[in-house]
Amino acid sequence: MKVSRRAFLKSLGYGSIAISAMKNKFVFAQGKKDQLVWVADQEFKTVDPHLLMDVATAGYRINLYDGLLRFQDNPPQLQPWLAEKYDVSKDQIRYTFSLRRGAKFHNGDEVTAEDVRYSMERQIALGVGAAPFFKPIIESTNVPDKYRVEFKLKYPYAPFLSCITLLNVVNSKLLKAHEASGDYGSNWLTVNNDAGSGSYQLESHEAAVGFKAKRFGAHFLGWKEQYIDKIEFRTVRETATRVMGLLKGEFDVLGGRMEPDQLEKVAKDPNITVHKDLAARIFNIRLNNQKPPLNDVHVRRAISYCFDYDGCIKDLMKNEVERNAGPIPNNMWGSSPEAKGYTYDIKRAKEELRQAKVRIDRPLEIVPLVGYPVTEQAALLLQAGLREIGIESRVNPKTWPTVISLCAKPETTPDITDYWVSMYYPDPNNWTGELYESTKGGTWNGQCWYKNPKVDDLLKKAVSVVDREQRTKYYNDVTKILIEDAVELWVFNTRNFTPISKAVGGFRFCPIGSGMECRWLYWKA
Amino acid sequence: MTTFVLIMKKFIKDRLAITGLGIILCLGLTAILAPYIATHPKDVFAVHPAESLKPPSSKHLFGTDDLGRDLFSRVVYGSRISISISFIAIVVSLAIGVPLGLIAGYYEIHLSEVLMRISDIFLAVPQIILALALAASLGPSIRNVILALSFTYWPWFTRTVYAETRSIKKAVFIEATEALGISTWRIIAYHILPNVSSSIIIRTSLGMGYTILTASVLGFLGVGAQPPTPEWGVTIANARRYLPEAWWFAMFPGLSIFIVVMGFNMLGDGLRDILDPRIRRSAR
Amino acid sequence: MSNLKFLLYVFKRIAYIAPILLGLLMLTFFISRVIPADPVALIAGGSASPEQIQELKRQYGFDKPLFQQFIIYVASLAKGDLGISLYSHRPVVKDLADRLPATVELSIFALLLSIIFAIPVGVICAIKRNSFLDHLMRGLTIAALAIVGFWLGIMLQLIFGYKLGLFDLGRRISISAPTAITGLYLVDSILTLNGRTFLNSLWHLCLPGAALAFPAFATLVRFTRSGLLDVINREYISYVVSMGIPKWIVIFKFAFRNAMVPVVTQIGLLIGYLLAGAVVIETVFDWPGLGIYAVESILMSDYKAILGITLVAGLSFTLSNIVVDILLAFVDPRRLEQ
Repeated sequence: MKVSRRAFLKSLGYGSIAISAMKNKFVFAQGKKDQLVWVADQEFKTVDPHLLMDVATAGYRINLYDGLLRFQDNPPQLQPWLAEKYDVSKDQIRYTFSLRRGAKFHNGDEVTAEDVRYSMERQIALGVGAAPFFKPIIESTNVPDKYRVEFKLKYPYAPFLSCITLLNVVNSKLLKAHEASGDYGSNWLTVNNDAGSGSYQLESHEAAVGFKAKRFGAHFLGWKEQYIDKIEFRTVRETATRVMGLLKGEFDVLGGRMEPDQLEKVAKDPNITVHKDLAARIFNIRLNNQKPPLNDVHVRRAISYCFDYDGCIKDLMKNEVERNAGPIPNNMWGSSPEAKGYTYDIKRAKEELRQAKVRIDRPLEIVPLVGYPVTEQAALLLQAGLREIGIESRVNPKTWPTVISLCAKPETTPDITDYWVSMYYPDPNNWTGELYESTKGGTWNGQCWYKNPKVDDLLKKAVSVVDREQRTKYYNDVTKILIEDAVELWVFNTRNFTPISKAVGGFRFCPIGSGMECRWLYWKA
Repeated sequence: MTTFVLIMKKFIKDRLAITGLGIILCLGLTAILAPYIATHPKDVFAVHPAESLKPPSSKHLFGTDDLGRDLFSRVVYGSRISISISFIAIVVSLAIGVPLGLIAGYYEIHLSEVLMRISDIFLAVPQIILALALAASLGPSIRNVILALSFTYWPWFTRTVYAETRSIKKAVFIEATEALGISTWRIIAYHILPNVSSSIIIRTSLGMGYTILTASVLGFLGVGAQPPTPEWGVTIANARRYLPEAWWFAMFPGLSIFIVVMGFNMLGDGLRDILDPRIRRSAR
Repeated sequence: MSNLKFLLYVFKRIAYIAPILLGLLMLTFFISRVIPADPVALIAGGSASPEQIQELKRQYGFDKPLFQQFIIYVASLAKGDLGISLYSHRPVVKDLADRLPATVELSIFALLLSIIFAIPVGVICAIKRNSFLDHLMRGLTIAALAIVGFWLGIMLQLIFGYKLGLFDLGRRISISAPTAITGLYLVDSILTLNGRTFLNSLWHLCLPGAALAFPAFATLVRFTRSGLLDVINREYISYVVSMGIPKWIVIFKFAFRNAMVPVVTQIGLLIGYLLAGAVVIETVFDWPGLGIYAVESILMSDYKAILGITLVAGLSFTLSNIVVDILLAFVDPRRLEQ
């Protein structure tokens, strides 16, 4: 059977036409848009708010659940949420929150203080998510009456008000009914179930695909005339696919990481607005302060001088980030924006190296994270810089779980790693105490193994007083010492890019939650 | 001696095998002469962020990648990596698999059964999953890729050698040599081994191609070679983010993998046709 | 007599599964545990202190000696409990059950696609031996086996998805999924008589299916061709031809069935290939199946999930091999002697 070339080409042509026709008729015949589609690059493995706390999946926590207080806008302002007001005892150990009356869970139950107490107990017991923030400081939780809950802390802790926003309130009655062998109902809640009171109510959830939710009309904050009735958070792993979907109009908002050149393409599209908001996420190159030769401050300073900060910001990040020379983001109170920090200065690097007392007799190991291209690119940039001052290094990417386990001991912690420090609560302690306090060694955050009693003392003082001015002074001192000691390299503060279809209005960015709160959005026209 | 000449003659006549051999020789030359063939040899390590993602031109034959490095040079250097990974992995698999296969095939004792069951265990899952788990656990690196690949490919050699040894053992001339009192070792080395060698050679050639493929898949998934190593699979993984504009970034490394593996497959197929035309076995 | 032998053979083959799988589990267990990764520290979060991490480990039973953990695992396995995933806090069985249909649908689609195209092509190549088409196919099949699955997938996406815009990227369906009965969208669509979801899922299956099927197609063409050629050249065929029976009838009535034996063997072995290919193709096409789950679990060191996946992969692979062996023993009783 001879197939003529012409016949072959003809059938190809007909085939494509058929596919296009089929596509148009059966696929996109959707009618007017009703559902907002927000794409994420990570999976929503769970919809239990106490199991995860990472930035990428904030979408479900912030929309399906409520906390006592919530931060809004940028710079973050603390607003009452489920709690109308709060009182702090004079010794700063007792925090009493008064709940507003009539707030309801999605299933109709009223939100009471017992639910808050249960939520705190559950969060701490499950041990993951936000638990590490509460476990060390909460002594006990009491319920003086139906609408008041009192937290008793172990010691005065100024950041507590910022931290309490991390507690999501769950329906204790509902979860107790679904409890099995002491799991606090997590087996039931983790997939496709809802125990929240948030602005949106879960409709469906499929771990590999995402979740859909619809507006909870009875939410205590009420609704204006314009709102979005249905939202969907969908997982699309490939950046290129996300961008294409946005440009085609299939997606309305793009979450997830985006490379600067993809950003350029998206920004050019007339139907899309790209919101650029300064986040509070510092990209660090972390040094193991206890491993020779990095235990010598001159070596660390030399390394700090040999990284091409401008090249990184301009060429790698296409100028979409801002230089941040100190540990605290410059848009955060308590930071020292005028602090000089380090620059790309090979001469000074070599000078510092000359003053070093340890010999550098082995290549340094730089460990970026598998799957995070910026960390790899920065690692290569650092490698090139180190070579200029005569230090050999190897770039050895590892997976995240591997690096974490290596950070358990100073000997196994890599010489140099790089990553971002996220903001979990908007308090300078998030970028200082959590990282540089000497007891933090052995954790992911504490991989610098920095032990300085003077800094410890300052940090402790900084969290025991409430007065912002005083705290700022303490943090300024801390920053000065950290920079002098060249504990690590603070490179840039990131910007959050959120491309949104022009058909959607009302976008409000807050670094906590990355602007994923959908209750302020509405369809224009 | 004359058999060898006969084989050579047949070989030259088989277009497939010759083309395959030609491709492999080109690959070998490229790998050895990489520093001379590559237009920008320093780009294995140097980064030029200002020139990122430029399309193919006379200056950059394959364009540049996301860090401004010349893609052509990196692909050329990538050949070194692919060859060394698969070569070492195959040699190690051979070294493990062939003796085990010979022993299991020749001796009809419990040990044979055990050995074959063990190789069955390894063959019970697709190689990629086992190699993935191994490489991810040990940590992503070229050394661990080689380890993972050898650790999961040796059963193929064992199986092949086992089957061949068993069938040859039944041959009359083996009984005769045994009756003559020649030591077992001599029998295996001088009488059995030469006869299984053709299957070993075929499997080696196909194995090289297959290993290069799997190594690039591991690199693609992020558990193999790591930046800045210009391994082909890793390069393609990086390139995905820049589709569809920077199409050259993903296309050329993939094309290279394709050509090289095809070369090994052609050679292996051709050899199979020549050396043993009646064997109908799995395409791997 | 031969029936007894046959049953014995079947029994022997099935009895094989248990020790093989046990060995596989042991292998995977110790590989994934005797390693420097610590997923418990990962899920505990960056701020967790070493004590908190230890506490969590105790909660999950990771502080016991390795072998004891293995015994506990196997014991719960007997009850059908594959453990709880570290990340979703859900029984691994449920995670796997959620994602299995996607992979199954893709694999079967690819298998069917390759069979439907490969057998006619193989037959034609065998009949028109050494024609231009035959050489072209031979070259193509060699090429097909050389193409890396993920590269082919990426190229298909690039050309047909991005440049030509003919296909949607990265999903199983772009409208609401059909009512879930089996989880296989095509089957569910037929069962619920939903034409729209049927066509939509089919449309989404095309590209990943083609990428997955291509090497399988190549192998089957090759085996159909050689299998048919083998039979055609036998004496009984020439005998039948010499009796004057038309060539076509000869091929389909006499040659085809016997020629299919090696092809059926290959199809069985292809299931193993499809499993392996699914891992990569799903990653490229964002297909929410077991493949992506496997890669993510491995990269995140989610132990129980990794073991679960290994079990599923090993089980299906081994089972398909056994089914093929049994089928072949049924067709060709001489195999029982081996």
